Amino acid sequence: MSLVSPIGNEPVGVLFGGPSPEHDVSILTGLQVARALLNVGQGPIEAIYWTKGEQFVSVDPALEASAFLEGPPRGAKELRFVAQPGGGFFMSKPGMLGGPKERKVELGALVNCCHGGPGEDGTLQAALDMAGLPYTGPTAAGAALGMDKLAFGAVAHAAGLPTLPRALVVPGAEAPRWDDPPRPFILKPRFGGSSIGIEIVEHWADVLRYVQLGGPHASRGVVAEPYRAETSDVEVAARAFPTFSLSLFARALRVSGSSPILSYSDKYLGGEGMVSAPRELPAPLPGEIQKELSDAAASVAELAGLRGVWRVDFLVDDATGQWWVNEVNTIPGSLSKYLWAGGAAIDFPVLLADMVEEAHRRPSVSWGSAGADGTALRSAASIASKLG
Amino acid sequence: MNSRALEVVVLCASLVAIGLAYLRWLRVAQREHYLAGSTTKFARRWWLAGAINQVAFFAAVVGAVISAWYAVAAFMPVLVAVMGPFGFGLRGRTSKLAWTGRLRRLATTSAIVLAIVLGVAGIFGLHPALTAGAMAAVAAPVLVDVALALARPVESRLLAPYVAKASKRLTAVSPRVVAITGSYGKTTTKGYVAHLVGATFSVVASPASFNNTAGLARAVNEHLGSGTGVFVAEMGTYGQGEIRDMCQWARPEIAMITAIGPVHLERMGSLERIAEAKAEILAGARVAILNVDYPLLEELAQKIEESGKSLWRCSCREPRADVRVTVEEGKIHVLANHLEAEMDVFAHASPEVEPGNVACAVAAALSLGVPPEVVEARLGALPVAPHRRNIGRNGSGAWVIDDTYNANPAGAASALALLATLGDKDAKRVVVTPGMVELGVLQARENANFAARAGEVASELCVVGRTNARALLAGARAAGLPARRARNRQLAVGWAAAELGDGDAVLYENDLPDHYP
Repeated sequence: MSLVSPIGNEPVGVLFGGPSPEHDVSILTGLQVARALLNVGQGPIEAIYWTKGEQFVSVDPALEASAFLEGPPRGAKELRFVAQPGGGFFMSKPGMLGGPKERKVELGALVNCCHGGPGEDGTLQAALDMAGLPYTGPTAAGAALGMDKLAFGAVAHAAGLPTLPRALVVPGAEAPRWDDPPRPFILKPRFGGSSIGIEIVEHWADVLRYVQLGGPHASRGVVAEPYRAETSDVEVAARAFPTFSLSLFARALRVSGSSPILSYSDKYLGGEGMVSAPRELPAPLPGEIQKELSDAAASVAELAGLRGVWRVDFLVDDATGQWWVNEVNTIPGSLSKYLWAGGAAIDFPVLLADMVEEAHRRPSVSWGSAGADGTALRSAASIASKLG
Repeated sequence: MNSRALEVVVLCASLVAIGLAYLRWLRVAQREHYLAGSTTKFARRWWLAGAINQVAFFAAVVGAVISAWYAVAAFMPVLVAVMGPFGFGLRGRTSKLAWTGRLRRLATTSAIVLAIVLGVAGIFGLHPALTAGAMAAVAAPVLVDVALALARPVESRLLAPYVAKASKRLTAVSPRVVAITGSYGKTTTKGYVAHLVGATFSVVASPASFNNTAGLARAVNEHLGSGTGVFVAEMGTYGQGEIRDMCQWARPEIAMITAIGPVHLERMGSLERIAEAKAEILAGARVAILNVDYPLLEELAQKIEESGKSLWRCSCREPRADVRVTVEEGKIHVLANHLEAEMDVFAHASPEVEPGNVACAVAAALSLGVPPEVVEARLGALPVAPHRRNIGRNGSGAWVIDDTYNANPAGAASALALLATLGDKDAKRVVVTPGMVELGVLQARENANFAARAGEVASELCVVGRTNARALLAGARAAGLPARRARNRQLAVGWAAAELGDGDAVLYENDLPDHYP
């Protein structure tokens, strides 16, 4: 199998880690991606690890996860990131005489494997845009929308997609009247991926108490929605390049004792990452629902301007056939490798090569100063007069 | 072969032998935190361990001396340095040599020290250089120690930029810092604090082995994200001034001492000096948390009371303590009565829970402002520190207590108490241990005591290695406990697996890296 590289011999960068609760899972995704690229042997691979302490370091792409247990692995070299045209990652190199010199880490494109935090919320994307470095996955705007559960829910609702009501919990607010009799509430951090910080609370008073207590998951806002115990979580991955394609549908099985939500440990701590999370794959969904969900996954991509591989999570009520768009994960764990199976099989290296090519073909931004032709400057009175 | 050619061959052979000896002793230096003097101390232990090593060392010294007259005699120290000490592998089984930057610098310095020795001898001719080489093969650990002493100021200078960076990072992120020290219980308590506080603040705890200046700076630089609300820093000490230096830039708001015991006693001198070194942690802190079950910490508490700091006395027996934690019928009872917070709750307790450490952690959480109801909710799922009284079952169904990271007498006594509760009524109960180290003048007594107390609950003792064999066997003999010996832990584990069956129980108490005899 050969990886068709659109970028000649320029190395592909793989970026993972980052200051996020999903830091460790991102390392697993990054190492899988780096290994897959190494295995097909197409061009050099630069693995860039974003530490918990927010430094970028260059590491060996063939490492195992255990090398990261105590922080940056042995042999990691510090990098400096420059966010301006011609920028990117620079490695300091001891000069022959005296002071250190820097060498630019030349990259054709960067595969962004960060989950949660600034790697998936638009921060990193904006910095890479400023450096002029092509990258895979969502744009800054798409990432920001995908990470904000409140905004995404509102956008999906406005676009006519079925969504459950979702509200920002404001201290002292009245209980929303969504259902009669009222259902329990499911609370989620407004910003954040995975199921970290998700709570199910019976009474509104406890919702307010939860928010009042604060805590790392509640510090940037908490959204509440009605908890529908009868629904199951159905997920599907999609991509838009070279053509729109959809993975198998998977249905998550809830097994973790009293907790009805697929917990972080269910999802990630099973030994082989996402693959071992208990799920039905493919999910036995009626053809009609599959069609509706497929259309919805495409709409979500349009709404958020998504690139790379994204995963849309739905809530499906098997008894009634009703479904709702729950959320979108714009850089899913393992890039949803496990979903591209069976009838929807795409080899992982091919998926990656297409993502890299897309990073070049579908630029993440196009900025320009057209229109700023000096008219405003010429006609302006003195600055002092503007200050009045 | 003419005599000059022989001298050249002997000198070259010495160089090879010294190279191999350096590999061995550099590994010891690395394992012993690059403390000058440690290499020679271990060399002494090894060469005195067993008749073969004693004879070999004596022969090597004699050979080196005779080589001043007869070059060929130098082959004796060369041979001994290549082969021995017997039982001490070149590569290491549990603790391999890691070629870090620091080790490479030490290896270079050691090579320079050797070059100087040979060079000075060489001024007087080839034969004196050869004799110096033979001596150096025997005295390689001393040369490594000299290199350690020479490298020390350089290493502190190299460390300075990392410390400066960490200090800047701490100022920029400005988390509330909880600093924890103690002869034991630091790591466990750190885990408890991080857990109790984790639902309320974004918390970062320094990794287990990062408890000196270099490690702490690394923890800050590599782990402290900009959203960190609470940083829990573990601080260890090998001497006076070390914790004070760390506190100067880590600036803890809350300082805790979990225990005072005879750990590192041989380096520190006395329990009072250990307490003094640990008390440095309190200097700039707003809050002091002390486990007053230790008399020296109760004394310290009385002094602190007058200083205006907020003081939390923690205990597992004293009813008037600010936080008292007791274990009652499988539940932990936490009673807090302090100006800053009160609570009186019961929570589920796993058998591994250490009440004194829980008390200190609860005090830290409450003084950080974690609501008592949140502390209560999280008490039920305290994390278990790995290899500290962890209970499991082996393939043949025997209970296994893994207490291999414990190295202190108090913890060892708790592990024995736990062993007594496991297994069937007539079960075999076995204790496998190399004994405890770094207890200074108390080491032999503490190990003998441990073996004697094991006699009250165990049916057999398996002594691993030689380091504490004499004291452990004496203790076992006094208690009438049958004892056997195993050369290393692997063999001991194999023996226990074959010996024990369903319903039996084994306690693995402490483990020593293989640079211990």
